[in-house]
Formats: sequence, C-alpha cells, structure tokens
Amino acid sequence: MRGKDVAMGIATALLLFVVVAIVLLGATAYTPSREIRPLAKFYLEYCMNVFNKDWWAASPEAVTSMLWDYRGIDTYYETSVFFLAIISGVALFRIVEVKLGAEGKKEGKELGLSLIVKTSTRIVFPLILIVAVSVALHGHLTPGGGFQAGSILAVGPLLLIAAFSRHFLGNRLRLSEDKCLTLRSIGLILIVLVIALPLIAGAVALMQNQPKPWSPTSPFPAYVGPLWISGSLFFLNVAEFLAVGAGFTLLFLLLSIPEEDFRRILGL
Amino acid sequence: MSIESLLQVYCYVALITIIAVSLYGIARGYSLTKKLIALTIFGDTANTLMIYVGYRFGEEVFVPVMPTLNPSPEDIMWFVSVAVDPVPQCLVITAIVINMAITMFLAFLIIQVYRLYGTVAVKKIAKLKG
Amino acid sequence: MILATLIMAFAFTLAALFSYLAIKSKDLVKATVFSAGQSAAFALALFLLMAPDIVLAYVAVAVGIYTALLLYIISKTERYEGDER
Repeated sequence: MRGKDVAMGIATALLLFVVVAIVLLGATAYTPSREIRPLAKFYLEYCMNVFNKDWWAASPEAVTSMLWDYRGIDTYYETSVFFLAIISGVALFRIVEVKLGAEGKKEGKELGLSLIVKTSTRIVFPLILIVAVSVALHGHLTPGGGFQAGSILAVGPLLLIAAFSRHFLGNRLRLSEDKCLTLRSIGLILIVLVIALPLIAGAVALMQNQPKPWSPTSPFPAYVGPLWISGSLFFLNVAEFLAVGAGFTLLFLLLSIPEEDFRRILGL
Repeated sequence: MSIESLLQVYCYVALITIIAVSLYGIARGYSLTKKLIALTIFGDTANTLMIYVGYRFGEEVFVPVMPTLNPSPEDIMWFVSVAVDPVPQCLVITAIVINMAITMFLAFLIIQVYRLYGTVAVKKIAKLKG
Repeated sequence: MILATLIMAFAFTLAALFSYLAIKSKDLVKATVFSAGQSAAFALALFLLMAPDIVLAYVAVAVGIYTALLLYIISKTERYEGDER
C-alpha cells in the first residue's frame, strides 16, 4: 500500500479512538439518558394543551407543530434553499429547443420496458399518488406532512420514465418543464400568502398559528365543526406538498433527456 | 456495566466508524461520483447520530405524537414523561431536504464537468491546464 | 427494552458493513446498490428510535431518489473507476 493510504488509514483510526473516548468519558453531556431536556418538555407539554391556550399549537403531533409553528422561519429558509438548487439546475441545463425524436416507436420496436413492467406500473402509479395525497392531508394529526408526501410523489414520474419512455411523458401526457415550474411557483405563492395573512388580518407577527397573549387575533381556526385542521398547519402542508413534488418532477424531467440531443446542441 | 449499556456504547462506536469510513471516501475517492456517494453516506449518518442522541432509554418510550384529541391533565403528564425528544427530529427533517438540494446541485455539476472535459477522474482533471 | 437495543445494534452493524463495501468497490453500480442497502438498514434503525416522520422522508429520499440520481449520473459519465492511482 502506498504511503498516503497508510497515513489516511492511521488518521481515521485515531479520529475514531479519540471521539469514542471523549463520548465515553461524558464530556459531551448529551449521551442517551432517561430524561430529556427542558426545552423538549416545554414543546411536549404545550403543543396540545386545551387547558392553557396561551402557547398551544392545536396539533397533537409535536414534530409538525414545531416545523411549521414554533420554528416556522427555519422551514421557510429551507424551502428557499431548495428553490435555489432547482433554479441552478434549470439554468445549467437550459436548452433553446429539444426535439424528442419520433413518438412511440424507434427502429420498429416500442420504446420502454416489456409488457409485464408496463402493466404493473399502470397498477402501482395511481396507488403512489393516493398514498402521497393521504400523507399530505394528515400531516397535522399523524406522522406525515409536506416534505414526506412530496418525496413520495416524486417516485411516481420516475417510474413512468423508466417503464414507458421520456417520449411518453413529453408527447403523450404533455408534461413539460414549464408546467412543472408553474406548479412549483403556485405552491410557493400559497406558502407566502398563508405566512402573510395574519399581518393583514390584524395580528402582530408573521407565520402565526393560534392567538397568543400579545396578539389576540388570528384568522385560522383550530377546528371547523368535527374536523380538526390545526390552524395554518393544514394549508402549509398542502402547499409544501405541491411545491416539493413539482420540483422533483422537474429535475427528473431535465435529467432524463438523452445525451445525444445535448451533444448535438452543444456541438461536442 | 450491564448488557444494555454495552449495546448502547456499541451503537455509538458503529456510527462513528461509518463517519470515519465516509470521510476516508470523500478524501481519497478516485472519481467525483465516488465522492458524491461518500458525501451522502456522511450526511445520513450525521442525521442518525442526532436522532440517537435524542432517544430516551427506559422501560416505556413513546412516539412524540399524542394519541388522543381531547387529553386530560393526567394524559399530558404521562405524555411528557414517556415521549422521545422531538427537537432533533424537526431539525433532521430540515437537514434531509437541504442535503438533498446540495446533492442534486452537485449531480448537475458533475454531468457538466464530464461534458466539458471528458473525464471524471480527479487526478486527470488536476493535470488539465485552464 | 433489551430486544429493541439488540435489533438496533444489528442494524448499525449491517449499515457499517454496507458502507465499507460501497467505498471499497471499483464498479460504481455496485457502490450505488450498497449505498441503497445501507439506507435501508438506517431506516430500520430510525424506526426503532421512535421517529416515524423521519422514516417516511428518509426512505423516499435515500432509497428512491438518490439511487435514481446516481444511476443517471453513471449512465452519463463513466461506470468503472480507473486502475491507475
């Protein structure tokens, strides 16, 4: 083995030994224990506390109420980081006009995989859509939410591109990159509307879910009749589901354009 | 040291081992794709380490989701005493999405590097001039 | 509960083995498959750590999207790492 490999191996083994020794001797003070931190106790106690409505978030799910109500600005920034990544991908792969070739058949045989794969994809794809929508709509009551549902929705067009072909998605279903970008922008505009609505309706802060002692009005109810919608959490989950699902579909549509078309256009 | 605490320490050692192996892969990977694979493994292991720190070892643990829609005060006290820490879970969901955005950006950059220079091996790219 | 900790330790051992094999292999498609196996082992461990939100997001992203992304990259660039070091 060369000298560089031996040195790197010894360095990683040393890192391993030092970190394990530090953790065992208790220097980090966050080793798994039987008690949790006071901040976690606060969130767990007040996220669904009908007796003391000063701090509650009207949702029995502590993680979603922290994502969109207590630490909502973090999620807003993370959505904008994801948006920047998508914009950079679209900019790197910009093409003036792409002709996707003949539709349906190439050299006499059909595009895509065999008949067995096509039939089973026809059965599985609507089920993926149903699961994604269900996970998005229940995000404030059970584990789920916008990101989880958007990631599940992204697997559907991926299967369609693999089993049928990219021509099927572009020519038969008429799903172009512009439509995906429009859907994503609609989702983001909905998020901004839901965040800015409390200011217009008389509250004092952005991204406010339930009435607080320092701003006692809020336009979002906790429940409508027998249905529990947890204020703004429901609308934010649905908008984020639309934005994330459309963003992933756009990126996979860009990635699956064959290389010959790009090389012909770039002149390589 | 009981068997249970030995197993907890072993889980820590396994996680730190994966971090060390993936750092080696990032530093000494031969092609850019191998470095990307090692980077995804590193990010996922860091997220799992955060969730592991927030776990609560005990006789009865519960998910941080309240099982009823109209709780009584005893329900809330029981929930606070058995539920797992929800703060790292919220931070990890954000971290998963940001890592995914970075990986997609790097994927586009790797394909562009291959189109312009014809190779993805790091040593050959270092020898090019300009 | 000792049974939960035992299965957690088994899942982490499996993940360490898969990650070592992924870094070591020269064929990049094999490395991708080992990385997907490591993500599946992590999903089992995350479920035992009582984090169901994370499992939903992690399985869809790491096993579905990362694998497809890496296969697209490999099909547009090289499949085998070179031999000279």
